Amino acid sequence: MNPFRDVWQSIFRRDPLSTDKGKSELVFLNLWLHIHPAKVHKEHFRVKHTGYLGFLTFYLFLVLVTTGVALMFYYRPHPPEAYQDMKDLRFVVFLGPFLRNMHRWSAHGMVICVFLHMCRVFYTGSYKRPRQFNWVIGVALLLLTLGLSFTGYLLPWDQLAFWAITVGTNIGSYAPVIGPGLRQLLLGGHTVGESALLRFYVLHVAVLPSAVVLLTMVHFWRIRKDGGLSRPLWKLRAEGSPPLVRIGEPAEPELRAVVLPAAREKTYGLMEVVRGKPLFEVVASAEEEEEEKDVVFSYPYAFFREGIALLVTVASVMALSLFWNAPLEEMANPAKTPNPAKAPWYFLGLQEMVSHSALIGGVVAPALMVLALVAIPYLDSNPSRRLSERKWAVWAFTVFALANVVLIIVGTLFRGPGWALVPPWVHIQGAE
Amino acid sequence: MKRRTFLNWGTAGLGTLWAAIGVSLGAVVRFLTPSVYYEPPRNFKIGTPADFPFGPPTFLADEKIFVFRDKEKGFAVASAVCTHLGCTVQYFTSDRRFHCPCHGSVFASDGAVLHGPAPRPLEWVEVTLARDGQLRVDKNKVVSASYRLMV
Repeated sequence: MNPFRDVWQSIFRRDPLSTDKGKSELVFLNLWLHIHPAKVHKEHFRVKHTGYLGFLTFYLFLVLVTTGVALMFYYRPHPPEAYQDMKDLRFVVFLGPFLRNMHRWSAHGMVICVFLHMCRVFYTGSYKRPRQFNWVIGVALLLLTLGLSFTGYLLPWDQLAFWAITVGTNIGSYAPVIGPGLRQLLLGGHTVGESALLRFYVLHVAVLPSAVVLLTMVHFWRIRKDGGLSRPLWKLRAEGSPPLVRIGEPAEPELRAVVLPAAREKTYGLMEVVRGKPLFEVVASAEEEEEEKDVVFSYPYAFFREGIALLVTVASVMALSLFWNAPLEEMANPAKTPNPAKAPWYFLGLQEMVSHSALIGGVVAPALMVLALVAIPYLDSNPSRRLSERKWAVWAFTVFALANVVLIIVGTLFRGPGWALVPPWVHIQGAE
Repeated sequence: MKRRTFLNWGTAGLGTLWAAIGVSLGAVVRFLTPSVYYEPPRNFKIGTPADFPFGPPTFLADEKIFVFRDKEKGFAVASAVCTHLGCTVQYFTSDRRFHCPCHGSVFASDGAVLHGPAPRPLEWVEVTLARDGQLRVDKNKVVSASYRLMV
């Protein structure tokens, strides 16, 4: 009798990893890994297909949860202690500046990665049937990410935080009918004060992260249920190749999926429990024979690459945090507005629009943008995923993405005191 | 059970369920609305009339108000909160106008919008003389730009 072996085998029940059965069991007998398929296509590993942006976003979220919990040990969400605690984290607490920097830079990184991930999914047409709803969940996660960043922005209770949130919540109060009431509910008062700090804290550390965790679970689960990652564009059928096969109800005029004739009869293993005929995408027929040998076990191929992505993410955040400190200005002073007062950078596009018209720029345009994002997979009935066959969609989305980027850059770098248009290379005498 | 009985009970049950959900949502909103606001009072005293000079308005930073005193017309109090996005405006004696640092709104000395994205003029609030001879300002009572208190 070997008690150590008994303990080991009570925890890990799988066969040895040298066997194919062991490699499969590692995936589907493990709570944390069973979201993966036991086997994956090699092409899905290619950085040029996904950029691993979904993974990067998820890893940054993990970094944020870890460093955020650490910071909570030294933070009291009440003025003026909140600001004193920030000073402590900056100058007294061991590793305090490093952890705060990691939290700040990961937060910025997560906003960027979510945006880039959305662009990748759009340009590869991966939001199309049957993945429409997962795109909608993705939009919700984008909004939650912005909400988390926004609520976190107030917590340092410095001038930057106070005025960014004052301006940001006032933008929201332009919403007709419900706007002012909603702002008062969010702040727990008429102005940004102690109730606002407490409310933002609770939203930031409990409510919004829980929502993100729940929706992320659905997001990942849907990837599997919608047939795994989309095939890379370069695997799509070349033009002029054999006709596509329709799958769906005979009476239904709409295409449910387009498959190669050979793929129709294909059955998949135990991980693909799908009712009816599985949904396939079009693959180049020359690749069809190679398909079998293109499939490899998730262990170790997928896990190794995911581990590398995790290492790169954490190492990048750590490197940034060693060399750049998160800003901390003087304590919040409601009597003194800094000039210019700016919202967090990802809302500066919004602030730029608001500086022209509060109602149209601050409420109508953003509401339409969110509605348009949600509606994209349902408005775009073109089944093709090839860029050359969806020029209109690509143009519209590119204009949307570029407009946001340009507005943010103008708001961040080209707006000086009094919100005057000032290029970043011009120094203004006496500017605060 | 009769079909009619089943449908009656079913309708009543579903109705009760929806009513309960509605009431609960209302309760959540009411719970989140503070019954007491722990924030600077909106109705406060600012001192005796003699504390305020004639000429350019006096800025009270904590209360975010400008106190105007004119020999013929008397006292008036304007809110320093920009009607655009809530930044605190500054009064420039050089051009006798209010300037907002956030988005460049400019207001005339009577609060009217001269320039910029601000949608409404600056708010004038009620100023009265309290029994103890101090000036009392009530930010909850918005008055017209021509409102004056003669002392």
